[in-house]
Amino acid sequence: MGLIVVLLFAWMLVIAFLAFIACTFEDLESDMGSQSNPNSQVQLAAQVGQINRFFNKAISGEPLSNALYCATAGTVAWLLLLKLEPLVPGEEWKAAVLAIPVGVLAAAMVNMIFSVTSHCGRTAAMKRFEQPIYLDVLYGHLLPIATHAFMTTFCITCIAYIQSNLGTLSGNPSLNHPFALPLLGFIWGITVGSIGSSTGDVHYGTEREFQDRPFGEGKRVVYHGKITRYADCGVRTQRDIAGFCAKFGGPVTGMTFGLIILFENWRSMVGMQLSGFLPALPVFTSTADMAAVIGIVMGLLIVAALAVGNLVFVRWVRKKCGPFVGV
Amino acid sequence: MEPVLMILIVVLVVIGGLLASLGAHLLPVGGAPAAMGTATGIATGTVQIMLGATMTGLFTAASVATFSDSLALVALSGAVGATVMISVVMFMANILYVFGCGVVPISGRVDVDPITKEPQAPYKTPQTDGHGVPNVVFVSGMMGGFIGGLGGALMYYALLNYAGFSAGTAAIGALSIFVANAIIAAYNIRGTIEGFHDPKFKRLPFALATSLAVSLLCGIVVVIAATVLGGAM
Repeated sequence: MGLIVVLLFAWMLVIAFLAFIACTFEDLESDMGSQSNPNSQVQLAAQVGQINRFFNKAISGEPLSNALYCATAGTVAWLLLLKLEPLVPGEEWKAAVLAIPVGVLAAAMVNMIFSVTSHCGRTAAMKRFEQPIYLDVLYGHLLPIATHAFMTTFCITCIAYIQSNLGTLSGNPSLNHPFALPLLGFIWGITVGSIGSSTGDVHYGTEREFQDRPFGEGKRVVYHGKITRYADCGVRTQRDIAGFCAKFGGPVTGMTFGLIILFENWRSMVGMQLSGFLPALPVFTSTADMAAVIGIVMGLLIVAALAVGNLVFVRWVRKKCGPFVGV
Repeated sequence: MEPVLMILIVVLVVIGGLLASLGAHLLPVGGAPAAMGTATGIATGTVQIMLGATMTGLFTAASVATFSDSLALVALSGAVGATVMISVVMFMANILYVFGCGVVPISGRVDVDPITKEPQAPYKTPQTDGHGVPNVVFVSGMMGGFIGGLGGALMYYALLNYAGFSAGTAAIGALSIFVANAIIAAYNIRGTIEGFHDPKFKRLPFALATSLAVSLLCGIVVVIAATVLGGAM
């Protein structure tokens, strides 16, 4: 079977969709466990007398912890695939259906272990500020954290599996990505974490964590540590926060990663298509070089469009909102 | 391995390391304060966002390296990939700042945007150091992504084609050298930086000198690994 170009583009769109889901859940998972950047405020809260029922599991920076989960899932899935694929010759997808969820389950369990030790360790360190370890908070958050992390890791492992088999799935194995499944999981784990950390945390940190402060201004230094401890009804825990961020912060973060994956793959594919590189794949020729050149030019056009978009957007916001009028 | 090839590997690794350090200084890093709208820039750490951008670029560079043996094309593919990643992140972060938090993207380090000449101070919340990603910061971030991605892809190409590493080993090797240089930059920045217009940017020579020493050592280690372990062509 020769390379089917339409199939190649279709897989690219599947990958972009999976990326959207992955990063949405990554952001919500970090909000759920307060692993986002504003976890410093949860840490600070007890020190300024704000005893709270927040879950604080800042294991490490989000990119590194997500790289750990995705690489763990990728490695377990990869090892299982090595053993299972020979059992189903010609129908290797059956091996993937079993191997990927099992690998991701292992990663979710690693996440839960780290979450427990991290939360207990951090909260125990705040004993001198009389911050207790609420056991219901500990137990109640573990399952939501694990399920959100499962979704993220599952989508990333699927992306890595598709990319490492993209050529095979589309008809020509030479188009498979040169990196192995665990390394692709590692790469996208780092990237999904850095996007979740840089984009999604804003909604949680500025808006939700200080919701009893004025809307429409950056959080002043005097407010730091004075987090909002009460929900619409009762005492606030992280489960209220994930529900709130799922309405805006999570999807926008997901769209960020989805767009990045879409743009990156799309410009490469379009370059290959326009230069005549597909479907014959004449590697190390002037046609192949032209594919790379077109991909680079497409990328530069995308960047230029985003820069102009930002210029127009910032100008529009300044006009709409006007100068700061508070005190 | 021929001596010329050895020198070429060391030179490319050193150039890649220096570019990584320079790129990290150009990125607008706001850290935790940026996540609360207390500082301008991207709401995460220097190493984290630099690594994310470069890994995205490296993914595309590795794809291009499978069908093209041109150093310039592989390096530029990585650079453009990292720029696309950082530009989308900054643009979407601005959407979140504006619609999710109701703040105007403003620089805290300059009173007037050096590029658009728009006044900044009247829009700033008191007791904060700016918020969001204004235009000058966006341009600086784009430059940082491009330079950092270029450095990462250059190192990957050197390790893959000159040192004879496999694709996976070359990626991990390039990433490791890159991380070392990005951490040096993070130490030098000490907290937040807005980009080339930030007074902290003047500290760059110190980081470049350190990066030069570290990258030189890394380049020599790569040559030793390629020669002793039999990875060379």
